[in-house]
Amino acid sequence: MADAAQSGGGGTRAAGPRTAPRHGGAPFARLFGATTGPVGLISALVVLILVFSVLNPRFASVENLQNVLFQVSVPLILVVGATLVIQMGSIDLSVEGIMGAAGMAWILLSPNTRLAIDLGVWAWAVGLGVGLGLGLLTGLIYAKLKVPSFVVSLGTWYVGLGIAILLYGNSSLPSLTSDALERWPTALTLGLPNSFWLAVAVLAAGVLISNHTRFGRGLMAIGNNEPIARGSGMPVDLYKVAAFAIAGLLCGLAGILATMQLGSGSTDIGFGQLFIVIPAAVIGGTALSGGEGGMMRSTLGVFLLIILNNGLVLAGVDPDYQSGVFGLLLLVAIIAVAWPGRDRLKVAK
Amino acid sequence: MKFPIPNLARPSRRAFGAAAVAAALVAGIGAPRAEAQQVEHPEGFNPDEWVVVASVINTTNPYMISNIEGAEAMSEALGIPLEIVNSNNSSQTSISSIYAILASGKKPIMFVNTVASSDAPTIVDAVRQAGGYVTIWWNKPDEYKPQDVGDNFVAFQKHPGVDSGRCGAQALGEALGGEGNVIMLPGVQDSTTSKTRVAGFRAEMSESYPGITILEERPSNWDPQLGARNAKDLIVKYGDQIDGVWSADDGMQIGAMQSFENAGMLEDVKFASDGLYPKTLEDIISGRGDNAIVGETFHRGYMASAIGLYTAYLAASGQIVPSELEDDKRESFFKLSCVTPENYEQYLQYDEEGAPAEFVERLIESGPWDTEPVPLVGGGVEELPQG
Repeated sequence: MADAAQSGGGGTRAAGPRTAPRHGGAPFARLFGATTGPVGLISALVVLILVFSVLNPRFASVENLQNVLFQVSVPLILVVGATLVIQMGSIDLSVEGIMGAAGMAWILLSPNTRLAIDLGVWAWAVGLGVGLGLGLLTGLIYAKLKVPSFVVSLGTWYVGLGIAILLYGNSSLPSLTSDALERWPTALTLGLPNSFWLAVAVLAAGVLISNHTRFGRGLMAIGNNEPIARGSGMPVDLYKVAAFAIAGLLCGLAGILATMQLGSGSTDIGFGQLFIVIPAAVIGGTALSGGEGGMMRSTLGVFLLIILNNGLVLAGVDPDYQSGVFGLLLLVAIIAVAWPGRDRLKVAK
Repeated sequence: MKFPIPNLARPSRRAFGAAAVAAALVAGIGAPRAEAQQVEHPEGFNPDEWVVVASVINTTNPYMISNIEGAEAMSEALGIPLEIVNSNNSSQTSISSIYAILASGKKPIMFVNTVASSDAPTIVDAVRQAGGYVTIWWNKPDEYKPQDVGDNFVAFQKHPGVDSGRCGAQALGEALGGEGNVIMLPGVQDSTTSKTRVAGFRAEMSESYPGITILEERPSNWDPQLGARNAKDLIVKYGDQIDGVWSADDGMQIGAMQSFENAGMLEDVKFASDGLYPKTLEDIISGRGDNAIVGETFHRGYMASAIGLYTAYLAASGQIVPSELEDDKRESFFKLSCVTPENYEQYLQYDEEGAPAEFVERLIESGPWDTEPVPLVGGGVEELPQG
């Protein structure tokens, strides 16, 4: 994949830098990292929301809005890290393993049914530290040993899962005993769930880093053409390691949040997240080959996937048909998303 | 894939066992397994030619951990060493690991908790070629019968899923006074275990509680988080119309209860499920959510593996000839008990320290088909009632 293209420097991509993302347009477009803005994606979302609201008026209720925002928070945190990594043309598959390890480390050091221990803020430090450490490991092996990120992060996925399994041991399911911690993710601040506010804070930081720092622009440049980025004196390896470290840290945070949301620890707390996060980034227009896309667009991708699922349940689609209908609607949405940029995105393979 | 049937783990026993072995090794004493041996082998049976094998779907699910504990207790009682196969949720891993053990030259006395129904024929063939004896639990193709395969496939055994669903329906039906609306959270939709439980639940509801309406069924893949998410979506959809929630296993129920608690509805809704997880037991004892949990079922992983291995051992040692057994001893259903907040206390004894060894002792005394609390109750292919 992209890694190979980079290290080999071959193929069409090395022939010259592609058009770099243009940031010169209106503020709206600038936020979304494209001149036109994600018109297709937003229209697809609007249509879905309208259709689901007609099918079941409760879909458009405040209660369901809070529900959707609650469900969106974990993948939203993950997609910020994933977007940074994908923008530079790499991929991070370790999401679910890191979530398991961090979530399990955190709950075992927080008030839980298994151990009479409460390290408070240190539990957070350890949980996030596990995520950061695994992210650093992925980044270092990828950047320094030149192993494709696809393979490295597959390895760290299992290392993370292994850590989670060891921590889980053979004992019973650890459940939170602190009501305050258990209720925090759903408690409302200014009408919206706390877990969503946490995701918004992460997203804001992500947008800031991605659009307004040398590091963020550097990642995009690496994705566009690594030899040129390197030639211009950019600390490419450092940026690569940092991107994976941030992604790992955010996986750790997402693992902790998911554990809080469930109220219990589980080695596979991250189950299924990878297949929300990567499609969400791609639907949002973040090309897997790197050099394109943005945080806000990935965010819309996450909303699209979560709303699609939520809407199908509320519309009462028979479970036997739900997977098929989900896939079909996703295809239609993707076509709508890609339509406005079809000339620019013309791909022969 | 995830596996449905959870249960209480007694990990401390394993940890203690490991520590004790380590201590014995350090002291240079060694700990010959034969000391704990309870079974006198019949003449002509040489235990050195055999190995006890337990194949489990993974080693993190509490039910699987309990399977392993039963196998450990049985291996000790037989004085035959134990090999554990961790399938890591993959049929391929399961089958290749079993081949590796068979290649060691010893004949297997085997218990297999199959990852997928379709694994059964491949595993049975390999065991037969190695001259071993195998009992399969939970999953096999309906038309693949031990009676047709031969003595090496000693038996297929399970707890009936229909009974599990009926237990849940009775508990909810009674708790709601025969009136109200319930939602259902099945497991992986096409799994036999989930299908049979769902069919049992629906049948019992329509036969005995016609005043109860099933609002909706949302498969939640045995996943606590998906259970929580689906429950939340259904709360939005139906609001306070929901009076009861049935889940095909406790993992999903844990997730669902969290969603109802978050919505401030836990005290207005009743729950029933399968497996009696430690967390569930705690919630029953503490009366969480105004005694929200009204029904559960009881069965334990260590009982399944011990019964499976002992049946295989009896065949291996010539004490039973499988082809001469009645049909219900080749395709067997073992009892599943309905647990309620009124009677849960009588099941606590089976989770005490040393319970697997105690069960194995009684199993060897009474035989594989007559040991409480899980005697044989029937056999054949489980038929789905129409609900």
